Amino acid sequence: MTEQLFSNDALPGPDDITRQSFDNGSVLLTRPNMSSPAVLIRGYLPPGSAFEDPEKYGIANFMASMLTAGTRKHAFRELHDEIETMGASLSISSGGLATSFSAQCLREDLPRLLALIREVFTEPTFPARQFQRIKTQLLTFLSIQAQDTAAMADQAFDRAIYRAHPYAIPELGFPHTLQMIIREDLKDFHQRFLGPKGMVVAICGGVQPEEALGAFERSLGAWINPAQQPQPELPPVEALQGIIREHVTLEEKSQTDLVIGTFAPKTTGPDYLPAQVGNEILGQFGMMGRIGESVREKAGLAYYAQSELGGGLGPTTWQVVAGVNPKNLNKAIALIREELARFTSELVSEEELSEVRSALVGRLPLSLESNAGTASALLNLERYQRGLDYIRQLPSKFAEITREDILRTAQTYWQPDTLVIASAGEALS
Amino acid sequence: MNDTLITYTLENGLTLLIREIHTAPIVSSWVWYGIGSRNEVPGKTGLSHWVEHMQFKGTAQHSASWMDHSIARLGGHWNAFTSPDWTTYFETLPASALETALELEADRMRGSLFEPNEVETERTVILSEREGLENDPLFQLNEAVQLRAFRQHPYRNEVIGAKEDLLALTRENLYGHYRNYYQPANALLCLAGDVDPQQALALTRQYFGNIESLPLEKQLPAPEENPPAFEQVDLHGPGDATFVEVAWRAPKGNSEDFFAFTILESLLTGPSSLNMFGGGGISNRTSRLYLALVEKELAVGVNGSLNASIDPGTFTVNLTKHPAHSVRTLLSALDNEIEKIQSKPVTQAEINRAVKQSKALFAYSSDNITNHGFWMGYANSFADYSWFTGYVERLAAVTPEMVTNTARKYLRPDARVIGVYTPNGAEAGND
Repeated sequence: MTEQLFSNDALPGPDDITRQSFDNGSVLLTRPNMSSPAVLIRGYLPPGSAFEDPEKYGIANFMASMLTAGTRKHAFRELHDEIETMGASLSISSGGLATSFSAQCLREDLPRLLALIREVFTEPTFPARQFQRIKTQLLTFLSIQAQDTAAMADQAFDRAIYRAHPYAIPELGFPHTLQMIIREDLKDFHQRFLGPKGMVVAICGGVQPEEALGAFERSLGAWINPAQQPQPELPPVEALQGIIREHVTLEEKSQTDLVIGTFAPKTTGPDYLPAQVGNEILGQFGMMGRIGESVREKAGLAYYAQSELGGGLGPTTWQVVAGVNPKNLNKAIALIREELARFTSELVSEEELSEVRSALVGRLPLSLESNAGTASALLNLERYQRGLDYIRQLPSKFAEITREDILRTAQTYWQPDTLVIASAGEALS
Repeated sequence: MNDTLITYTLENGLTLLIREIHTAPIVSSWVWYGIGSRNEVPGKTGLSHWVEHMQFKGTAQHSASWMDHSIARLGGHWNAFTSPDWTTYFETLPASALETALELEADRMRGSLFEPNEVETERTVILSEREGLENDPLFQLNEAVQLRAFRQHPYRNEVIGAKEDLLALTRENLYGHYRNYYQPANALLCLAGDVDPQQALALTRQYFGNIESLPLEKQLPAPEENPPAFEQVDLHGPGDATFVEVAWRAPKGNSEDFFAFTILESLLTGPSSLNMFGGGGISNRTSRLYLALVEKELAVGVNGSLNASIDPGTFTVNLTKHPAHSVRTLLSALDNEIEKIQSKPVTQAEINRAVKQSKALFAYSSDNITNHGFWMGYANSFADYSWFTGYVERLAAVTPEMVTNTARKYLRPDARVIGVYTPNGAEAGND
């Protein structure tokens, strides 16, 4: 293994991360970077899209999109005029289990931006005109997405692997369900589910911890929603059986997108780190690991071909993805399955493991150099209850992973004859 | 942060720029070559981009996997980009590993093999890359519009090249292009991050100092200053959404007009950033075209694009049409807004706001060392580093009158190309 080229003390840890929980059920994590003139705010809070009424699929994302459409204090134009005049940004979107937000401003504007974030969360008016306009935008986006081979292959994969589980449903919903949603639905959904219990926020950049804590306490830390209902538990997924093959035909497409995958280990479980190291070898390291070497470098079949290990509190997947000419689709599938068979039957080499361990450790300071990288890392510490010293422990945790750990994990989760294979592009011949 | 830029030129013509930034133990190393699709000739489009791909395939000294693994095992990342004006290669990695990046770049400046079998494998990879792009109606529309926005100048071509050229190019074409353009006198090395300048210079001399520069035969196109003649191009394809792209001639990056045009773009379609790596953007919901077209439900989205380039390029506005209105109505509303900005002076407050947004966008990405390396070389491709360091100041010097004059000079209704992508089955222009 290459010698570690930095001190672990350079990574975020208990001595430079401040964590504070608030009476309203929210948690703030902050780490200063006084060389930056900017401040980044990132966070997540309930609800997500996983518990929507089937007739109203897409309501969580629609509600999130409408939060910045106007408040009791600011009409749409006034609100965005204030944000854009500061040179700030604010975006809100919905995922499976949470609504996420990201905001950024110059250091001096932090208190004002936090106050505006609280305002859009607590006082949205869902104005009728903006409701219709944003609904049209969402429907147009869905119609554009319906022509996107990568998005359609992903959705086909999710339908096949998650089946009756809520994650089978696209987070943006469907055109017919969006059409069913009325303004009152959004108001009701907002009132019942959006709230500070379970909210986690990270503030990183050119602000001292006490200043960030004070600004947060006066804004989001003081928000109370007595009507906030807890989200139910996610149901379990059904185990995969056999090969499931799905294809979405899209006319006049030059490239077919392909997703091959299975379920991933729990992000908080003991198999996750061995899977992360194994995934690097399978389809990430350098120019996309073994998959990239086989499908792109040697066979020249694809511009991109790599593996991706999902992470999250719900069930996630472990995938290999590629974009190929339609005539090469079966050849690419065969090559990927060959690599999966090798990955699940042979120990990775000492050299592969050594290089990948070095890469994962060496990547830490690079991934954490920016405010955005640090904020995402802090949110994950809280999301997965890892403790503030987790990032500094990672080098030694990676060093403990063995070749046998990787093979055992690969064999547990990848079974070459139990896979979902989904693609989207021109009709299969 | 130290704003001082250190410059050296080696005897072989290689220029080295160093910017010390000691906020993290990281360095970003960039090698820029003065070659892009702008220097290509008809029938040979895509050469520069393909050569860029071949630079990852190994040299006589180092195999492709050595190159790849030597960066990856350090946790570094590396990549390359080809633009109309330049081709660039970068590595961002722990500062103490700078030597690895310099060794690799010096080696592949002259020593890449271009093995015939690798050339053929990469041909299908690049065709696949192009096929992925062709899946997107916006790529198709842009390609059709740019072909008409220039009569001769290579900015009319997509960087990836035309499919027929990609099928016909030979190993000899590629290797000749590489040997001609990849040499110290046509290169710029930019180092940003936690570096000691003296040590960096010594390493640069060690690895690049002995590479000889040969006579360079550079294809230089005549700049196409004149605006395009009015033309509309109609495309049809699958889907339900109608897209419109309008392109006007834009000033080159190193011109006074460019800064007034940047303010004009910001007011019309929102602020755009010079950031290549993260940092985030600022929304455009209070820009003039958003308010006139999206708020009034003639379009569901609008954005603009202006690039600082060596020769005059294009300013494009992309619109996604609202399903309830026609293309004609949408273009008429666009024309009204353009006419307004040409006839009524903008306010100083609007300019001040655009300047603050530019400052903020720089601040958002200044914590990313890789961006600094990019900015150094990018500014030098068409001007010099002072263009970048003086950027906000020069925007602040723009007056309302300059914005009006720039709008009148460039955004002429009779000197633009309009592209419309209409879904199959819908009536072009008036669905």
